[in-house]
Amino acid sequence: MTQTRNLIDENGKRTDGRTIDEMRPVKITVGTVKNADGSAFVEFGKNKIVAAVYGPREVHPKHLAQPDRCVLRCRYHMSPFSTDTRKNPAPSRREVEISKVMRESLEPALMLEDYPRAAIDVFVEVLQSDGGSRCAGITAAAVALADAGINMRDIVSACAAGKVDDKIVLDINDTEDKEGGADMPVAYMPRLNQVTLMQLDGNLSPDQFNECLDKAIEGCKAVAEIQKAALMQKYFGNETEVKEEQ
Amino acid sequence: MQEIRRRYVLPGDKIVEGNYRPLMNVVKSGNAIIATRIGIAETGREGVKVIPLSGIYIPRVNDLVLGKIVDHTSLSWEVDINSCFSAHLPAQDVFGRDFSPARDDMNKHLAIGDMITARIMAFDRTRDPMLTVQDRDLGKIPKGELLKISATRVPRLIGKRGSMIQTIEQATQTRVLIGQNGIVVVTGRNPEGILQAVKAIRMVEEEAHTANLTQRIKALLNVPDNPQDAQPSNDASKPQDEQIEAADDVEELEVENEK
Amino acid sequence: MSTSKRSTIIVEHLRKQQMLEAIANGKRLDGRGFDEIRPFEIEIDVIKKANGSARVKLGDSEVIAGIKVETGEPFEGLENKGALIVSAEVLPTASPHIEPGPPDEETVELARVVDRGVRESEMVDLDELVLVPGKIVYTIFVDCSVINADGNLFDATSYATVSALLSAKLPILEMQDGKVVDTGKTKPMPIKTIPISITAVKIGDVVMLDPVTEEEGSMDARITITTSDEGFCALQKGYTGSFTVDQIKKAAETARIKGQEIRAKVKEFTKYGS
Repeated sequence: MTQTRNLIDENGKRTDGRTIDEMRPVKITVGTVKNADGSAFVEFGKNKIVAAVYGPREVHPKHLAQPDRCVLRCRYHMSPFSTDTRKNPAPSRREVEISKVMRESLEPALMLEDYPRAAIDVFVEVLQSDGGSRCAGITAAAVALADAGINMRDIVSACAAGKVDDKIVLDINDTEDKEGGADMPVAYMPRLNQVTLMQLDGNLSPDQFNECLDKAIEGCKAVAEIQKAALMQKYFGNETEVKEEQ
Repeated sequence: MQEIRRRYVLPGDKIVEGNYRPLMNVVKSGNAIIATRIGIAETGREGVKVIPLSGIYIPRVNDLVLGKIVDHTSLSWEVDINSCFSAHLPAQDVFGRDFSPARDDMNKHLAIGDMITARIMAFDRTRDPMLTVQDRDLGKIPKGELLKISATRVPRLIGKRGSMIQTIEQATQTRVLIGQNGIVVVTGRNPEGILQAVKAIRMVEEEAHTANLTQRIKALLNVPDNPQDAQPSNDASKPQDEQIEAADDVEELEVENEK
Repeated sequence: MSTSKRSTIIVEHLRKQQMLEAIANGKRLDGRGFDEIRPFEIEIDVIKKANGSARVKLGDSEVIAGIKVETGEPFEGLENKGALIVSAEVLPTASPHIEPGPPDEETVELARVVDRGVRESEMVDLDELVLVPGKIVYTIFVDCSVINADGNLFDATSYATVSALLSAKLPILEMQDGKVVDTGKTKPMPIKTIPISITAVKIGDVVMLDPVTEEEGSMDARITITTSDEGFCALQKGYTGSFTVDQIKKAAETARIKGQEIRAKVKEFTKYGS
């Protein structure tokens, strides 16, 4: 990652006009895929991501089933038209890795022991990609899992922070990802205060490292509020309290 | 009546702190009780539970379910019960102990695509659900309007002591067969009545979490709001009673306070 | 190798019985007539990173088509024409019966039938998409992702493909010193005609348009007929049953008439020509 131009101007504004502590607009819609047991559509900046959950359901082939817990299967995939240059539809090494870290970021929240011998399938499709599509994908998947009624200890919320022009900034976009100094995607369970995904590429000093992680966690907490608001809206509309019958 | 406190919750929400017993769809975390599902949390004297509003059907022994025959081997039928596991109906259950795969034609009795009413005889963490049709009113469903609702809405559709479903049946002159797994079959002589019943069932499904649902269903079906209507009628037939029993033991959604 | 198999969708006999009763009364389970197509909507430019895109909702079937324009060598035997290829993936989000993985024979058929309609109608003027004759041409990739499946993916995918092409902005490329240079300017895709496919299935002796999943699960045979402004341009008969010659002739006539209606709607949704 070599920086070729200034990504933060003299007024402290980034390439897309945000301040260093500002997140891109996030919009979550629950239940967008009719056939799925749970689903969500997430727009995170220019990312457009659909997540669908099927399950718990029977495992095929049967020998993959585990006697004491549920098998979680995740697929992160990008549509060929989602990127700047057409992406070959066959899964790339990058997609295989993201599928894996995504699964591992969701598993700690799921009570898989409640569904022995079954499988839960999570399909995340990136229709349009921007920086931070894995975080947006995890965010979408967690909402879809809650929508599917899978027992969860906590929600999983994800957001990245990074380094741009030697400053720590929240929620890296596409340009900053490609040209900036460091990218640190984090997934987090807000109630349990646990990090379930963390990656880093780029160089940070020890102080910057701490600042970056703290900033990513702040981002995750903000994402969690948006996830919860979307789920409340889907299930309870504008009501926030249970009305007792007369 | 305010012994039970209710609120809407999402997975990870703290319902209450203190010495409460976790009942269902909750976990204890330190001194707090945490919701694990989207639904309505109820905190009462016996403990804390969440009545879920989403999720697939998880089989339970003795549940009455409606299922679809999807395959058969020489010894049993495979039945889709709208759950995480296919159920099995042993051929012996239908043909008796002296069942012989060579002599008895399973396909003639129940073919792929047939719908059945069955009871879950056995199910646990280690084996797939086993069904039986050996009881009154169990077995093949000859006809009717089929619909699927979320299994989480079944207790609400049945209502307290069957009040909701009886309201719908009486107003529309139909019979509504409800599986705990969310599969519903409506029969009746009058096609208009069936349409009305389906409409009412869809409304219960969509508005299950809201208050005064029974009144709105009555309004939809033009039923006068008279407490007598909720009484089970004398000609209420057997399978209905069974459904109601089944509803009672799933700890139905008692958001209604019918006095 | 293609092997006969049982349909993954097992329609409950209760439903099938009702379906047949309804058909006997000239109706379908969702109340439509045999020649009635479900309401559909098309939204264009849903993927800003693509050179053209469209989302089609045909009933509960939902497809997104996205276009990527690149350059490459022409196809063999078509040295003086641009290259265009339609691909499709039925995403595992689309139904509980889809397994993730390389496209199965049904998905390959889907992509090829849609591709054939676009290709044979000569919808896009490929003569205009040549940079260096015989060497470098525009390559137009149309990729379709099926997000939710409720029957008739052929027509939903076809309308998405056509709408994406109609609304696409073709980057203007130039050759400078033997290299392809993007001028940063765009122009509309060179369109000659608008192919519209109409798919029908046969259940018993009745042929009906735009089948939903449970009608496809009960069908004996399927036919997809694509017409352009000029006439017929592509056809695919599918599934294990058969049609009488009269049924096919009648379906062809219906496809032509319905095709005109749909073509008008597609133009309206994509604001093509306005």
